[in-house]
Amino acid sequence: MPTSVDYSGYFQQMLGGVSITVQMLLWSFVISLAIGTVFGILRTGASGVVQIPLTIYISIMTGVPSLLILFIIYYGGSGVLTALLGYDRSFDVSPFSSGVAAIAMVNAAYVCDLVHGAIRNLPKGQFEACTVLGLPRFHAWRLILLPQVFRLALPGLVNIWIIILKETSLVSLVGLSDLVTVAKTAGGATSEPFVFLIVASFFYIAMSTLTVPLANRLERRLNRGQTPVGA
Amino acid sequence: MRDISTPQTIDVSLRDVVKHYGPFQALKGVSLEVAKGETIVICGPSGSGKSTLIRCINQLETHDSGDIVVRGITVDGTPANTRDVRIEVGMVFQQFNLFPHITVLQNCTLALRLLNKGTKRLNEEKAMYYLERVRIAEQAHKYPAQLSGGQQQRVAIARALCMEPPVMLFDEPTSALDPEMINEVLQVMEDLARGGMTMICVTHEMGFARRVADRCVFMADGEIHEIAPAEAFFDAPESPRLRGFLDRILPSTAHS
Ligand SMILES: Nc1ncnc2c1ncn2[C@@H]1O[C@H](COP(=O)(O)OP(=O)(O)OP(=O)(O)O)[C@@H](O)[C@H]1O
Ligand SMILES: [Mg+2]
Repeated sequence: MPTSVDYSGYFQQMLGGVSITVQMLLWSFVISLAIGTVFGILRTGASGVVQIPLTIYISIMTGVPSLLILFIIYYGGSGVLTALLGYDRSFDVSPFSSGVAAIAMVNAAYVCDLVHGAIRNLPKGQFEACTVLGLPRFHAWRLILLPQVFRLALPGLVNIWIIILKETSLVSLVGLSDLVTVAKTAGGATSEPFVFLIVASFFYIAMSTLTVPLANRLERRLNRGQTPVGA
Repeated sequence: MRDISTPQTIDVSLRDVVKHYGPFQALKGVSLEVAKGETIVICGPSGSGKSTLIRCINQLETHDSGDIVVRGITVDGTPANTRDVRIEVGMVFQQFNLFPHITVLQNCTLALRLLNKGTKRLNEEKAMYYLERVRIAEQAHKYPAQLSGGQQQRVAIARALCMEPPVMLFDEPTSALDPEMINEVLQVMEDLARGGMTMICVTHEMGFARRVADRCVFMADGEIHEIAPAEAFFDAPESPRLRGFLDRILPSTAHS
């Protein structure tokens, strides 16, 4: 029978797992948001040269299980990098970076769809006003169009944030000590799997719940100026 | 309005402008010359190509053939000329198209700021000057949705004026407004016209046309059917289509 001292050591380890899970969440979300936004903007353009590879990319990323993408990157990634960047060096793809890459690439496809849909829902007049004022295109997107796009896409983006939070647990299958891995190991070692797995579950629930007030704050910020007349 | 004592320079010239949307011909060879300081009113039935015509001038639509020259710049679709023309031409839309998430003042200073026109203070002073000219300076720190339609449209006019364009295009600027707000916008436009701005206005406000327009243009089916000074346009229309159009939109006592 393990003593409570042993338990506290395991909970310490779980804090380390939490840290890895949170880092994966932040990196994956930021990268998928950035890539997905750029792709979403490109998707609204007319040029077929961009549309075809984008369509292929999106059907792969939304059609293939994330786990498979992770395995492909983790087990195949170093070979591909070596082939691309030269045989004189060897490239190791760490579990962390392949996890971030896989989750970001998959969710970038979903962000792309969301952003693309939101752009199409913006009034055409917003684009025309930017055009006739002669606003440089990059700044028009940055200051005028994207803030409105993100306002429209916010509920969907919050969903993606929570999906990514849960998907980070996939990296336990390539040997990274995220929260799920640590909980499983601790549970096995102490023959008390239930305790540790429940604690881990509570962490995910707490993180999702924490998202709500954060999203509300962001929503208030993005909704600036949306007050109807007289309000 | 035009000052007839000065020699006439042409600010906007269109020659045989043709525009298709797919197989549909929206402009069938339109020609029009607008002198510096002149106010032109364009009217005509829905779908006649009025919006298409003025949107070709600042290349919101690209024309298929014909020549468009704005203050010496040939509008030929090259990026540099398109950019130059848009600096010369301001535009006001039916739906105002203010940016909803920034204040009235920021709407007005944004383009100045991004095009590096001056210091923050100078830009704000300029914006406040034009907001005062459209009589809405006291609302500068509100968001567009907090204003009435008429106020929003006046802000949109001020926003365009901040770039100090010599030519202004108006596409049915009062059509989305409640009746009691129409006059405040027309009054601002009239002040502009009397101040010497070159203006091309698509509008069905015939009182404004009579009072302010130097010439009126009647379009139907992608063609200009009649161009005449305001008085002749209303009192002695030549083409039967214009006569029919005026009969339909004017109160029956307005002309005989
Ligand atoms: N983007 C477009 N694609 C296809 N057809 C168009 C497009 N824009 C306009 N049209 C067509 O071209 C014709 C002229 O349109 P335009 O908007 O210039 O008319 P208008 O005189 O401004 O009419 P309204 O008084 O209703 O504003 C119409 O028949 C319209 O259906
Ligand atoms: Mg129109």
